[in-house]
Amino acid sequence: MVRYVASRLFQLVFICFLISIFAFLLVHLLPGDPARTILGPNYTPASHALLMRQLGLNKGLLAQYGTWITNIFHGNLGSSFLTKQTVTNALSVAVPIDLELVIVSQVLALAVAIPMALVAAMRPNRSFDKVATTSTFGMLSLPTFVAGPLLVLVFAVTLHWVPATGFNRLSQGLGANLKSVILPSVALAIGSITVYYRLLRADLIATLQEDFVTMARSKGLSTRYILLRHVMRPSSFSLLAGAGISIGTLFTGAFVVEVLFQLPGIGFQLVQAIYADDYLVVQGMALVAAVAFVVVNFGVDFLLTVLDPRVRRA
Amino acid sequence: MADSADRYDRRAFLARGASTAAAVGLAGVGVPALLAGCGSSSNSPAAAPKLSSPGVATGPPRRGGSVTVGLNSEIDGFLPSASHFDNSGLTYANTIFDTLTVVGADGTAKPYLAQSVTPNNDKTVWTITLRPGVTFHDGSPLNADVLVANIQQLQTSALTGQALRPVSGAAKVDDLSVAVTCVEPLVAFPHYLATQVGYVIALSQLESQNSTHPIGTGPFSFVSWEPNDHLTVQRNPHYWRSGLPYLDGVTYKPISEDQSRENSLKSGTIDMMVTRDPNAIRDLAHDSSFQQVLNPSVGQGDMDFVILNTAVEPTSDPLVRQALAYAIDTDELVRLFGAGVAKVNLSLFPPGSPYRPADNGFPTYDLAKAKSLVAQAAPNHGGTIKITLATITDPRLLTEIQAIANMWGLAGIQTTVSEIEQVTFIDNLVTGQFQAYTDEMFGASDPDLNYVWLSPTTATGPIALNFARNKDDALEAALQQGRTMADPSVRAQAYQEVDRRLSLDLPYLWASLATWSLTGSDAVVNFNNLTLPDGSRALGFANGIFNPTPMWRKD
Repeated sequence: MVRYVASRLFQLVFICFLISIFAFLLVHLLPGDPARTILGPNYTPASHALLMRQLGLNKGLLAQYGTWITNIFHGNLGSSFLTKQTVTNALSVAVPIDLELVIVSQVLALAVAIPMALVAAMRPNRSFDKVATTSTFGMLSLPTFVAGPLLVLVFAVTLHWVPATGFNRLSQGLGANLKSVILPSVALAIGSITVYYRLLRADLIATLQEDFVTMARSKGLSTRYILLRHVMRPSSFSLLAGAGISIGTLFTGAFVVEVLFQLPGIGFQLVQAIYADDYLVVQGMALVAAVAFVVVNFGVDFLLTVLDPRVRRA
Repeated sequence: MADSADRYDRRAFLARGASTAAAVGLAGVGVPALLAGCGSSSNSPAAAPKLSSPGVATGPPRRGGSVTVGLNSEIDGFLPSASHFDNSGLTYANTIFDTLTVVGADGTAKPYLAQSVTPNNDKTVWTITLRPGVTFHDGSPLNADVLVANIQQLQTSALTGQALRPVSGAAKVDDLSVAVTCVEPLVAFPHYLATQVGYVIALSQLESQNSTHPIGTGPFSFVSWEPNDHLTVQRNPHYWRSGLPYLDGVTYKPISEDQSRENSLKSGTIDMMVTRDPNAIRDLAHDSSFQQVLNPSVGQGDMDFVILNTAVEPTSDPLVRQALAYAIDTDELVRLFGAGVAKVNLSLFPPGSPYRPADNGFPTYDLAKAKSLVAQAAPNHGGTIKITLATITDPRLLTEIQAIANMWGLAGIQTTVSEIEQVTFIDNLVTGQFQAYTDEMFGASDPDLNYVWLSPTTATGPIALNFARNKDDALEAALQQGRTMADPSVRAQAYQEVDRRLSLDLPYLWASLATWSLTGSDAVVNFNNLTLPDGSRALGFANGIFNPTPMWRKD
């Protein structure tokens, strides 16, 4: 187990190293000259040369990377050339938003998907299963950019229950905070519910065909007990893997919801920065998002090894 | 007298990014919004507001409370000499700073932070006398030394320097007076002081060049700013206008999506919003829950147009520009995208303006003529005229330029459409790396404020504020006449000639009047009723810019 975790940790560090190289190279791969963009109308050959020196862009790539990665370890990801805000500060705004969005949306998704899948698996092809499967099919075909405005129209514009846009921090009160994240979280959860329900339902039904389940039944154990005690765990691996990918993706993939609800999360700020050629913000946000994705999936992998001994033996 | 909110400057060129210029505010270059607006720079837009005087309260003011305002964009900082103030930036600035003059309801520039602005006989020297006893939010006094330092900074800035090109220097006369010397008569000087170059910031901010923590003399002082999330300000208890402001605080929230902003207002998430989306303007105008203010009937609002680069192929060819102009069915565009509130305007000036000639000669839709011109010009361009038409990234604007591309296609012009991020868009305008863009600008309380955008003197070099690079000596002569002559009738003739020359040169293919609206919930009152120190009324909301000083909450 220790060897397995150490090996995965080594992989994690290596992948993060690769990510850092790609993030670093973003400035060089994106079209245009960062110094020219930053200078705008103040561009002169002299000011350009000066800024290139200040940004360290006149050095060799290796030296640039060395300086950049050293700065990162000191918490310095640079500053936006537009707003002069440090990338670290922008991240301190964005990360809590994304974290909360991800947590609330995934808790909602799991809270809905797991019971639905359990009930459906207990009596496959019966009425509840058919209704649940059909409705999740419908939800799957409901993109976020449709679900989001619909939710806003009903719960914000018509009922005035929640704000239509914006994010209230926890410091502004738990109620205000939850009100501001509930609609975007539901919009994000809709897609996840479908995926989680279908993954878990299929695995549950497959597991229920296993011999050990027949054995348990023959011992007179109730279906509910068998499901929760013996079937749920071996059936949750696909769900966990799916959740890992989904959670990781949401760190940047939530940008549609973030734009709709005007939440300055990582995705929202990243897209704004890309449009504005705000290179250092793009670099910093992309780095953090990618690392978050990898770390979350590492966490899921670790969890899988705990739950399933076959994984660590593989 | 108008408060800074009434400035006609605008968006974007200055809006984040790129450029230079100018003018700061004077007439900002804009966001490319071909039919973003409606015709309300003049009277009676199709979607008339329900109240006779929306935004004007009749009862006694109520103190306290705060208001949340949804704006259409975010800015890049709070340094008038370096930050690109668009309509949102100018609204922010009106909240924290004051301008030396403001535009009054009668369209003239009146003293505001300045007690007086007086010229010598030939209007080459203007003496600005400041109000006594005014302090900045950091407690430092407003005096002549601070004003001289501000003007010098603005003069040397790449952004604002070109707007102040006629200004040769500023010298302290006494503790509260500064003499500004111009190289030529500058009749519209007081109007310039109602724009971005008219804001006065504290010496401490000037020296530190801190663009994220503004220190002004304005009605509200800075509390916090998180770009793309909010700007929060609190009441300035030492404001030089006794008793004002009434609110304890204001929070601005940049909400870039028009629909999200509208939903936020309707759900009560925000109390007020600014928009230039014709659909939102129409929807909110017919909702009795809100008060809506549109562009004023005085002065000149922004114009929507297609700008053509006269320095690059094929738009450098006058025949091509004529063909493009004749091929656009502006009436159809307005019908399709104007939501019933947009109005066609084929001139630099709005209807009713003294500067608008009876007939400026601008080409009107004639497809047969366009085809004929294309046939005539095509051999000089390899047999086919190919052009790229671009706008900023906005689904609504993309649809509009696709419609224009179709119209040009019918005339035989191969058109590629593209979307460009705003900063790059403005950079391309400034550096001349474009053929045809949709844009929106020219809002100005005095037509001379548009000099930098139109003059051949700013049409050359790697960075040009005359984005179209149009060089026309007769146009320059008319602009100079308008700039230096005080006689209103002479100025009117001069600017009528400017309009006619532009119709001949065709650097701009006019489309419509750009209309903005400011809409507030019924709980917020008096948001369009700024009075000036002399008791007269300011112009009020114009071109997406307003001033929060006079408003209060009912609840």
